[in-house]
Amino acid sequence: MSATRASDRVRAPRQGGGRIPAALLVPSLLTALLALSPIGYLLVRAGEGGLGTAVRVLSRPRTLELAARSVGLAAVVTVLCVAIGVSLAWLVVRTDLPGRRAFGVLAALPLAVPSYVAAYTWVAAVPDISGFTGSVLVLTLCSYPYVYLPVAAALSRMDPAMEEVALSLGRRRFAVVLRQLRPSAAAGGLLVAMYVLAEFGAVSIMRLDVFTTQIYTSYRASFDRTPAAVLGLLLVLITLLVVVAEARTRGRAAYAMRGSPPRGRSVIRLRAKGLALAWSGGLAALAVGFPLVSIGYWLAGGSSTGLDPGELGAAVVATLGVSAAGALLTTALAVPMGIIAARHRGRTAAFLEQSSYAGHSLPGIVIALSFVFFAVRYAEPLYQRSPLLVLAYAVLFLPAAVGAVRASVLQSPPVLEEVARSLGRRPLQTVREVTLPLAFPGVLAGAALVFLTAMKELPATLLLRPTGMETLATQLWTETGSGAYGAAAPYAALLMLLAAIPGFVLGRRSVKEMTAP
Amino acid sequence: MRLTVTEVAKSFGGVPVLQGCSLVVEEGELAAVLGPSGCGKTTLLRIVTGFEQADAGSVRIGDREVTGLPPEKRGVGIVPQEAALFPHLTVARNVGFGLPRGSRDRVAECLELVGLAGFGERMPHELSGGQQQRVALARALAPRPGVVLLDEPFNALDRSLRVTVRDDVRAALKRAGATAVLVTHDQEEALSMADTVAVMREGRIVQEGMPASVYATPHDLGVATFIGEAVVLEAYSTDGVASCTLGDLPHRANGATGPGHVALRPEQFELSEVSGLSGPSEPDAGVHGEVERVEFFGHDAAITVRLDSGNTIRARTRGDVPYRPGHRIGVTVRGPVLFYPE
Amino acid sequence: MSPLRRLIATALIPIAMWTTAACGDDGPTFDDNSLVVYSGRNKNLVSPLLEKLKAATGLNVQVRYGDSAELAAQILEEGEDTRADLFFSQDAGALGALGKEGLLAAIPQAALDRVPAKFRGSQGTWVGVSGRSRVIVYDPRTVPTPPASVFELTDPKYKGKVGWAPTNASFQAFVTALRVVSGEDKARQWLEAMKANGTQKFPNNVAILDAVDAGKLQLGLINHYYWYEKVAEKGQAAVPSKLAFLPGADPGALVNVAGVGVLKASKHAPAAQKAVDYLLGTEAQKYFADQTKEYPLITGVATAPGLPALDSLKGPQLDLSKLDSLEQTLSLLQDVGLV
Repeated sequence: MSATRASDRVRAPRQGGGRIPAALLVPSLLTALLALSPIGYLLVRAGEGGLGTAVRVLSRPRTLELAARSVGLAAVVTVLCVAIGVSLAWLVVRTDLPGRRAFGVLAALPLAVPSYVAAYTWVAAVPDISGFTGSVLVLTLCSYPYVYLPVAAALSRMDPAMEEVALSLGRRRFAVVLRQLRPSAAAGGLLVAMYVLAEFGAVSIMRLDVFTTQIYTSYRASFDRTPAAVLGLLLVLITLLVVVAEARTRGRAAYAMRGSPPRGRSVIRLRAKGLALAWSGGLAALAVGFPLVSIGYWLAGGSSTGLDPGELGAAVVATLGVSAAGALLTTALAVPMGIIAARHRGRTAAFLEQSSYAGHSLPGIVIALSFVFFAVRYAEPLYQRSPLLVLAYAVLFLPAAVGAVRASVLQSPPVLEEVARSLGRRPLQTVREVTLPLAFPGVLAGAALVFLTAMKELPATLLLRPTGMETLATQLWTETGSGAYGAAAPYAALLMLLAAIPGFVLGRRSVKEMTAP
Repeated sequence: MRLTVTEVAKSFGGVPVLQGCSLVVEEGELAAVLGPSGCGKTTLLRIVTGFEQADAGSVRIGDREVTGLPPEKRGVGIVPQEAALFPHLTVARNVGFGLPRGSRDRVAECLELVGLAGFGERMPHELSGGQQQRVALARALAPRPGVVLLDEPFNALDRSLRVTVRDDVRAALKRAGATAVLVTHDQEEALSMADTVAVMREGRIVQEGMPASVYATPHDLGVATFIGEAVVLEAYSTDGVASCTLGDLPHRANGATGPGHVALRPEQFELSEVSGLSGPSEPDAGVHGEVERVEFFGHDAAITVRLDSGNTIRARTRGDVPYRPGHRIGVTVRGPVLFYPE
Repeated sequence: MSPLRRLIATALIPIAMWTTAACGDDGPTFDDNSLVVYSGRNKNLVSPLLEKLKAATGLNVQVRYGDSAELAAQILEEGEDTRADLFFSQDAGALGALGKEGLLAAIPQAALDRVPAKFRGSQGTWVGVSGRSRVIVYDPRTVPTPPASVFELTDPKYKGKVGWAPTNASFQAFVTALRVVSGEDKARQWLEAMKANGTQKFPNNVAILDAVDAGKLQLGLINHYYWYEKVAEKGQAAVPSKLAFLPGADPGALVNVAGVGVLKASKHAPAAQKAVDYLLGTEAQKYFADQTKEYPLITGVATAPGLPALDSLKGPQLDLSKLDSLEQTLSLLQDVGLV
C-alpha cells in the first residue's frame, strides 16, 4: 500500500541517508569550485579597497535604490513569467485549444530571441516604450519559456488520480494543479529571477538604471574594480537569498513526480476558446513574431552594404562551434551535480546545487574578468583561446543544465538504481547504465537550452574569445554599435534562426508527452 | 544460502526504527516478514540489501559477513513493489542485467522458470503487471543470489491476479531453490506463501515460526489480533480456566492467573438455533445473542452476533447456514482459547 | 548508451568544423613584426584603416575589438601579462586609466608633438589620433533655432524633449568640462535642472540620434560623427535632424579624442611605435577626416567638408585623461542619481 511506503519513506528517505559516491562527489566539487571562482575573484578585488570602500559603496543611497529596483524588476518579471508560463503550459497540455501543438512549440521559441535584439526592435518600433515598463515587457517576453518548459513537462507527467481525488473532494481544479506545479514553476521562476538580476543589455537599451548598471558604470567610468566587486558580491548575496527561498518552496515536493506519463487523462474543454486563442496567439506574436518582422524590416530596408559572406560564414561556424562545445562541457559538468541534487539530501548536496547558481547570478562581464584574472595567473596557455571561453559558458549556464539533469533524474524512480546495484553494478556503472539513459531526453533538453543560450551570449564572449574570432553575437554588437542596423540584420536573423533549432527541439519535446487529443 | 540478521538497530534522526532486530532464514526457505505500516520492515530489508547501514548488529549471508559491504557486493536479489523493470531494456536484457555478457542460456532458463519463455524480445511496457512481476523475479534470480528479497511484490496487482502470481512466484522460488524473504503487511499473503513467518512490531521481530503455529499460538495479544481474526474479551483466569462473558473457557496459558484477555478465533464459535424465541435456554446452547449481520462468501460465511451481555463476536461458519439478522441463536466455544494476562 | 553517443557526435560536428576552420588560418603567429591591437573603436569604423596600416607597415596586425572601458578593465586584469601591444581607445578616459596604473609606455616626444597638447596625455603615455566634437543634435521641424549653449537646454519649453546618455564616456568628459569651466555648484545645478526638466536617458549616442530623427526628441547631446555615419548608412533623407556646433568656450563644445597608447609590457614595442607613427601620418588622418568624419589632429590634413574647422571650436580647456577629475564627475552623476 502506498500509504505504508510513504510513511516508511519519511523516516527512511530513499538513498537520502546514503553517502554520495566519490565518482560523483569529486567532479561535482571541482565544478562547484569552478562555478564559485568568480566570487573568489570578487573577494580579491573587493578586499583591495579595504572595508572603507565597501562601506562607502554600500551606504550610497543610490546603491540601495537600484538594488531595490532590480529586485522589484526581477519580482515583477518572475511573477509575469510564471503566470504566462503556467497558463500556456496548461492550455497546451491539458485543454482542447485548437492548434495546441503548434502553440507548444511557439511557446519555447522566444528563447531564440536575444533580449538585446528584442529590446532594440521594441525601442525602434515604439520609442515611447522604455524604462521599467519596457524592461518588464522585453524581459518577460524573452524569458517566460524558462517557466513554460519545466511546467509543461511536469503537467504531462502529473498523476491525474491526485487531481481527480481532490476534485471529488470539492476543490477547484486549478488550485489543485497549481499546488502540484509549484516545484517546477519555482525552479523556472528562479532561473528567470536570476537572469533578470544579472541582465544588463536589454535593460540599458530600455534606459532603465538597475543594479548591474552600477557595476558597469563602475568599470566604464571610473575604471575602479573595487566598487564593482563590492556591488557584485552584494548581487551574489541577493541571489543567494532568492535561491534559498526557492529551495524552501520546493521542499520535498519535487519528489512527488510520477515516473511515467499517465494514461487516460481527460482533455479539458475550454469554454472561452476565443480568449485562450487570443492569449496564446498574442503572446507568440509579441515574443516571436514581432522581433522576426522587425528584423525582416531591417533586412529589407537597410542600405548598409559590404556584408561579407565569408565573414558571416566564419561567424556561423565559430558560433556553432563554441556553443556546441559549451553545451557539451556544461552538460558533462552538470550530470554529477544534477544526479546528486536529485538523489541525495543534506548539506553537501544543497551546497553543490546552490553553488552552481553563482555564475548565473553575475553579469557576464564579471565572469569574464574573473576568467581573465585566473587564466592570466594560473592557466596562461588557455588565455584568449576558445577552451577558456567554453569554460566560461559552463560557469554562466550551469544552473539551467543542472536543473534539467535534476528534473529528468527525478522522473525515474530510484528503485531502478537500487535494483541495478543489487545486480552487481557499482554506483558509477549504475549512473552510466541506468540513471543516464533514462534521464537522457531531459539531459538533452538541458544541453539544447545551454546551446542556444551560449549562442546569444555577448559580454563574456567579447572579452574571452580568441583575438580575431567573431561570433554572430559579437558581429551583431559591432554592427549595431556603429548604428548599422541594416548590416546587423543578417546577423540577428541568422542568430535567431540557428537558436530556433534547439528552441524548436525544446518546444516539440514539451508537446510530445502530452495526452492525445 | 542461510540469512542471519543479528541484533540490528537503526534510527533516523534520533527516532529508533529497528531495535535489536534478529532473523534467521534457513537455506532454501521462504520466510515472510509480516508487520503493520511503519514497523520497520522496509528498513530491515534495506539494511539486508545494503542501501542503509545498520547502527549496530550484523548481517550474514551463508558464512559471509556482509554488514559493511556495498549492495553490489552482497549477492542479494531484490524484487521491488512495482516490478521496477528497466524501461529502456528488453525483457531479456532486464533478466540478463546481473549476468555476464552473452549468458543467453541462463536468461532463457530464468524466463522459463517464471513461465515466460519466448517473451525475451518484448519491452517491459508490453507486459501485464503480473508478467512484469515475474520478469522482476527472473531478473533477481538470474545471477543465483544468496538471498532474494521481495518487497510487497503483489501490491500493485489486481486482487484476482494476486493469487495466481503468488503461486507462480512461490513455485519459481522453490524450483530455483532460493532462500527468500517476503516483506508484506498482508497476513493472508504471508501465511499462505511462506514456510516461516516472522511477525514484526515496533522495530522488533516479536515471533517467528511456521504459519500454522504462529496462528495457533500467538506470542501476545497484538500478534493474535494481527495474525488472523480474533475476538478479544476481558477475562479472569483461575486454574487454566478463563471466565468471561462466554462462560468458563479452558486455555493453554498454564499457570497464568488473574485478570487478562482471552482471544478466540472466529472458527472456534459454534452457533446453534435456539428453540422458541423466548423459551428457556438449553444448557449446551452456551450464551445467547441476536444475529446482527450475515456476510456470505460462498464457501463460508461470517456471522456477527450481539450477545445478550452486550459484547459482539464475529464467527465463521459454513456457507449454508440459515441465520438471518434478528434471529436468536446460541453461541458455544470449541477447543481451548488463548489467554493473555495483563 | 547509444543516444548519449549520438549527442556527443552531434555536438562534435560543429566543434570539428570550427576547429578545422580555425586551424586552416594557421592561427595567430607572433614575431617581432606582430602587433596585437585592443581596439575599443568599432570594427566597422577602423578595420579598413587597420588594413591600410598592415599594408603600409608590413606588420602582422591582430585586432581584438571590444568596448573601450571593458578592454581597459581587461588590460588592468592582465597587468604585466597583457597580450595587447597597442590600445586603441574610443576615448581619453580609458587611456588615462591605464596610464595612471603605469601600464603605458612613454611615447616619443616627436610623435606627441604632432598633435596639439590638449589632445594628448599630460604624462606623454598616450596620444590622440582623431577628434570628435560634442554637439547638440536638433530636429529642425520642431526647433527652428537651435540653442547656442547647453545651458539653454533647461528651458521649460524643451521639457521632456531632450536626450542624453549619462553612462557614455564622451558625455562624462563633457560633464567634467562643465565642472572645470563652470564650477562644481553650477554643474550640479545644471544636471539637476536638466533632470527636473525631464531630460531622457539613453544608453548611447546612436539611440539619442534615432529618437530625434523619429520625432520623439527635439534635442540631444551627442558626438558629431554619429550623425555623419547615419547619413552615410541611411541616406540624407532618412536623417531629418541637424547638428548645432556650439560657439565659444561652452562646455558643450568640448572636443574629445580617440587615441592610442603603447603597453609597457609589450614585447613588440618597435612595431607598436610604427603603428602609432602611421596613425599620426597623413594617410590615417585623411581616413579619419573622410571616412569617420572625425577631426584629423595633425596639421596639413583638411577636415571633411561641411564640418566647422577644428580651430573654430574653441571648447573648454581640459586635461582629457585626468582621472581624479573623472571620478569626481562620476560621484556627481551618482549624487544626482543619473548613473
